[in-house]
Amino acid sequence: MALVFDVITNLFRKRATVLYPEERKEEPGTFRGVLGFERSLCIGCGLCWRVCPASAIEASRDEKGARPVFHLDRCIYCYLCVEVCPRKAIKASSRRAPAVEDKRKLEVG
Amino acid sequence: MIAEALRAFVYPGIAYMVALALLLEWLDRKIVARLQNRVGPYYAGPHGLLQPLADLIKLLAKEDVVPLGADRILFTLSPIAAFVVVTVAAAFVPLASTSGLVSAEGDAVAVLALITIYLLLVYAAGAASPSRYSQVGAVRAAHMLLGFEIPLMLSCLGVLASAGSFRLSELAARGSVRVFGLHAVGFAIFLIAAQAELERLPFDIPEAEQEIVSGWLVEYSSWRLALFRLARDIELLLLSGLAVTLFLGGPVGPSPPGAEPLLYPLYFIAKAALIVFLFSLVRASTARIRLDQFVTFCWRYLVPTSFAYFALAVLVA
Amino acid sequence: MGLYLPVGPQHPIHPEATLIKLKVEGEHVVDADIDASFVHRGIEKALEHKTYVQGLFLAERICGICNVAHTTCYTLNVEGLAGIEVPQRALWLRLIVEELARVSSHLLWLGLLAHVVGFESLFMLVFRDREVVLDLMEEITGGRVTSGYNVIGGVRRDIDAATAYKIKSSLAKLKERVVKYRRLLEEDPIVRARTVGVGYLSPSEARELLAVGPVARASGIAYDIRVNDPYLVHEEVPFNPVVYDTCDAWGRAMVRVGEILESIEMIVYALDHAPSGEIRARVPPVFRPPPGENVTRVEAPRGELLHYVRSDGSEKPYRYKVRTPTLANLPAAISMLKSRGDRVVHIADVPVIFGSIDPCICCTARVLVVNEKGAAKEFHLDELAAKRWAR
Repeated sequence: MALVFDVITNLFRKRATVLYPEERKEEPGTFRGVLGFERSLCIGCGLCWRVCPASAIEASRDEKGARPVFHLDRCIYCYLCVEVCPRKAIKASSRRAPAVEDKRKLEVG
Repeated sequence: MIAEALRAFVYPGIAYMVALALLLEWLDRKIVARLQNRVGPYYAGPHGLLQPLADLIKLLAKEDVVPLGADRILFTLSPIAAFVVVTVAAAFVPLASTSGLVSAEGDAVAVLALITIYLLLVYAAGAASPSRYSQVGAVRAAHMLLGFEIPLMLSCLGVLASAGSFRLSELAARGSVRVFGLHAVGFAIFLIAAQAELERLPFDIPEAEQEIVSGWLVEYSSWRLALFRLARDIELLLLSGLAVTLFLGGPVGPSPPGAEPLLYPLYFIAKAALIVFLFSLVRASTARIRLDQFVTFCWRYLVPTSFAYFALAVLVA
Repeated sequence: MGLYLPVGPQHPIHPEATLIKLKVEGEHVVDADIDASFVHRGIEKALEHKTYVQGLFLAERICGICNVAHTTCYTLNVEGLAGIEVPQRALWLRLIVEELARVSSHLLWLGLLAHVVGFESLFMLVFRDREVVLDLMEEITGGRVTSGYNVIGGVRRDIDAATAYKIKSSLAKLKERVVKYRRLLEEDPIVRARTVGVGYLSPSEARELLAVGPVARASGIAYDIRVNDPYLVHEEVPFNPVVYDTCDAWGRAMVRVGEILESIEMIVYALDHAPSGEIRARVPPVFRPPPGENVTRVEAPRGELLHYVRSDGSEKPYRYKVRTPTLANLPAAISMLKSRGDRVVHIADVPVIFGSIDPCICCTARVLVVNEKGAAKEFHLDELAAKRWAR
């Protein structure tokens, strides 16, 4: 019963619920979100796919040489690859991973 | 004939009772949510008014499972019987005018008897399911009966004795408010015992989600569960209606002559909403009490107080 | 006589799959046993196939709510094994985040206790207050739950003056709310009725059954790794371990709420006194520590957390063992669940008792080898490896 007065004052306060998806909480810029990749900077050293703990980076090739393909559905957003890339070709962002129906949409690069 | 059927089934009959019951459930959920700084029902209908109805419809679309080892007859009959018993009891309560759908001499006692029968049906429902959780929940419900039944009866009988009549429509017609002085005690006792009967927090022991999942309700699904939930909502309507009639003066209020059929239902809804607000406030600010602590509390405090109240009410009247 | 009532493995009370086997007579529990093996994920085996840096992220995910404790313990363990020197400021920052995670974990536990006694409103309000802490974690580390903050060699991000100010002002508001909750625990009659005298664990039993963390501290045993075996910079940050002697679930609740207030003080002190400097020693992503072994203990929110590592000189550990506090508290929990003499345990008390040890079963599920014959034998790791495991 000690909570009664606290609870009654809640009637006059704005709700704490965020009505997602119409409303969204602001994301701080520091959130570890989806990865971006700049092909022009990548030199194909292979450090990123060797260091990834979740085996989320696939080693593949294109006409320029070796390059990674990021599978964001397996990614744990630890950012080891961002740290280890010698040319800073892997970009951090604070966007959250979207909900998709096709896993292939979650490939970057 | 047709007029009678319309009265019985539509207004102020079953359809109106169901609608009112769902409205009171919405009110309860919304108030508890706002007290907890949440939103409550929001999307179904304006301000979530259609949410209880949506929940019932959703339940009807689910698969009906009868567990192996369940007593089939009791398993099927108990939800139907529960719904019928509470609706019949609610038919005596003045909802839309100074008389209920039916009115007879001594109908207040009939209502109290029907409430007890509902509780026995809860026990039967739990016993019909083979799950251990149902057994424990059913036994708890029966156990609770020992605690709150006497205070519930005595607080009602005290009011009836001091009003000098056992007919609910007579009490409603007189429209006297009985919440001050001696009757404040009776009002408090009735409210506490009613929450125990409705198995609401802090007394939702037979259905403690955290201990025995849903207790006696756990094996029921689809239309059976829908009927039980509807029966519970109508029980809320029934008990708030009883409180309104016995203590808050019935669905009566100042009204220009001739406007009673329009205003009295609204007065009822307003007063019942007040009772539901009190129930929701208690639900939002307490924890669940344990069964043995509940029975101790009833027999140490509620029962003696209710005896004293009844005796004084009879003497004063 | 007696009904066998299983609580679990799927039950609304369990955040994870646990089986509590109860033998019940009426409403009284006469016998109990706990089976915590349902969430076994083979983490220790997986850690043997990952490099030390990759293993850090796996260790972080042993448990969501204790993730900072696991990464703190892991990094201290591996740094001790490989002889890596960590800069001073990193140790202070690690302490700040560890204590912030402790606040978050204890607030979550308080909400769960409220939920278990049916106090839905308190649960909602506590979780709303916990959002403040989660937002702070997100601001500092980049994640609400999986922080990814501790790395081998230091920490990843620094806390600048603006963030420090935000932390202090949010925590000041949180402190008022927690003081209010402590008063509620002391005064609310129904909460007291459900927790006082429930789950009794006498001090001698606690010592015999090796209870750790708040469970032991509520039975009067003043053992806290931060005091008895300090790690990070706990020797330089003043704090008083919270000890109660009521030996029941209420005592454990009071210990945890007291610890929240202590942690808030520690964070503010650390923010004011942390030295400036480097936050991370450069460590190559793949390194080979010298052969050897190391043990590190950390005071996780639930008690004493122990990590053991054995290296054979390669880039992956030869063996990594995790002993979580909940595993140590399980025998105590089993003992608390049984009715004895005139100390009766009701079915309604079972979730309160099990919840009062703050169970984190996903941390706990490891393989236990029990010798049925009761003879005690010491197994050496190399023997086991030679005889039983194909490597």
